[in-house]
Amino acid sequence: MQFRDQISFVGQHIKKNKMRVFMTVLAATMGTAFLIVLASVGFGLHETIRGEVLSNRLVTQIEVFSSEMHEEKVAELKKRDHVKAVVFRQNIGTEQQSSIGNFTGNNPLIVTDFIEEEKANFELQEGRLPEKANEVIVGSNFAEYLMNQQDENKDGEFTTYDGKLIGEQFIYQVGDNEGELIEDEMMLTIVGIGKKPAKDWEQDQKIYADASIIPELEKIYYTHVDKPADDHSDAQQLFYGNVNVYADKLENVKAISTALKDDGYSVYSISDELDQLDVFFLALKAGLVFVGTIAILISSIGIFNTMTMAVTERTREIGVMKAIGADPKLIQRLFLMESAWIGIVGTVLAVVISYGVSIVSNYVLPIIVTAALGEEDFGDMTVTFSVIPWQLVVIASTISIGVAMISGWRPARKATKIDVINALRQEL
Amino acid sequence: MISVRNLNHSFKIGKKGKEKRVPVLKGLTFDVPEGEIVSIIGKSGSGKSTLLHIMAGFLTPESGEISVQGIQTSSFNEVESAKFRLDHFGFVFQNFQLMPGLTAFENVELPLTLKGISKSERQKKVKDLMQSVGLTDVQDHYPNELSGGQQQRVSIARALITDPPIIFADEPTGSLDSETEQDVLLLIQSLNKTRGITFVIITHDDEVAQTADRVYRMHDGILTEGGVQHAI
Repeated sequence: MQFRDQISFVGQHIKKNKMRVFMTVLAATMGTAFLIVLASVGFGLHETIRGEVLSNRLVTQIEVFSSEMHEEKVAELKKRDHVKAVVFRQNIGTEQQSSIGNFTGNNPLIVTDFIEEEKANFELQEGRLPEKANEVIVGSNFAEYLMNQQDENKDGEFTTYDGKLIGEQFIYQVGDNEGELIEDEMMLTIVGIGKKPAKDWEQDQKIYADASIIPELEKIYYTHVDKPADDHSDAQQLFYGNVNVYADKLENVKAISTALKDDGYSVYSISDELDQLDVFFLALKAGLVFVGTIAILISSIGIFNTMTMAVTERTREIGVMKAIGADPKLIQRLFLMESAWIGIVGTVLAVVISYGVSIVSNYVLPIIVTAALGEEDFGDMTVTFSVIPWQLVVIASTISIGVAMISGWRPARKATKIDVINALRQEL
Repeated sequence: MISVRNLNHSFKIGKKGKEKRVPVLKGLTFDVPEGEIVSIIGKSGSGKSTLLHIMAGFLTPESGEISVQGIQTSSFNEVESAKFRLDHFGFVFQNFQLMPGLTAFENVELPLTLKGISKSERQKKVKDLMQSVGLTDVQDHYPNELSGGQQQRVSIARALITDPPIIFADEPTGSLDSETEQDVLLLIQSLNKTRGITFVIITHDDEVAQTADRVYRMHDGILTEGGVQHAI
């Protein structure tokens, strides 16, 4: 029997028992939709938490710690596979002060490599990158941290600098090892302003300078402080560095982190945090799929019933087919196709319904929860209640169609075992 | 064409543990020659239907041999038996045994569908056959919309559609009135003559048996009489 004829044969039987098949499909649909929607909550929560973790930091960033970080090590890090940029920021480990007129602040100065910073998505809001040793870029909140301590506004707070920044010169001073500011000053010129941080609560008041500023600063500092005997001494070092390695893709973060750990570096990356999170949510999602599967198993009783009745009702027809010469395996296949059809249609409907439920719940639930909690929103958090990834659709479809076919298996086997002689004796 | 040798069969009856074996066929030996209409006549319970079921492969005999066109069929398994039936046998039953959900045309088409023949080829063949047995007018009717005679004609057309060398007819006129019975018997005789098909007719009716070329009479599982009645 050709496959097309088998389909048409099954179709004719389904048409004959529309109501019963419809009810069975409905049960299969409800079971599968329950599984998908239930598990989608797990996927939704996972995505929400993951999104929250990822939004708080640069996802491709790996913080690297080493007691001896220097230019050679940075150069070696840059050569590694899948490394997009290596930003070696050197901070000043002592008191520092910036002043424009009467406005002063303790904005920290950071020496960095602007070429690498640009590769790691450092962007300017205004101006240009430094070209000379005394040219610097300031963070977007730089001015807010420059205060006039002799002038208070009506709220009793010190007034902050609100003049122009680009092209402006300011005095920069470092402190000695006792924390006292050294009188020798540096005049620095602002040539650019960094882009505002993505998060409202993040502030960037820093001063970014090129490595060419180091000799001048060290000269001032070591005039007043004894230079350490060697670079390994922690005491009295003006600069201490931290290195951020940026991977080209999130997928490569783990590989780079592992390689760095193997080479003796202490590293911290988002992938460490995500790994733990993923394991937890994997267990949660597996649990939800298991609970949902029970609903499908309940609906499979309906399929078993329907198929058993179909076999019983068609005993005489099966007998005639076998008498004419139908292969018992063909009879079995026809019944399995019927139960698979119920499973497939039930699954397709369930997927469509589940996506609908998911969209509606993501739209309606935040409104209800907000109204119930009496808050404007969930703060900065974007909560996704339900997410249906294609993997969930594949898992649910496999379970649903598989269970449908297993339910139809026994009735189909029963059909092949029907005795031709007894079947032909049945009354019409 | 069909050779039956020393065929024995019995049925188990009674409750489990207290079953009794009742012999139904007792060492039958006979032949069905090619191109003949052979009737097996006997009263109810004589074992004639069991004989047909064994010859058709619905039942496996306890002992004895059956060969059809020189092929041993008594040792076939279920799948081999089904395939052999589809290729070599046609069946006409007392209750017609048409599929209620299929039209007359589709019922006749069914064996070809099972054989995996293409739709266009099937339709051409069924159309031609239905025309030759006078069923064109009712081809789109469902079995419950047909008279007994028409249903039996559809049943005969279904048996013929695969061009089998042998057709088994189990009480083919058992559900028909005498006028329709004659029509059906004439059709069987005509098909036997024009197409050379061998018919094995199981009946309890002497009148039906008289239309056969050869008659075997069964009584208590034994063939008591047999012989050629017409010039072949």
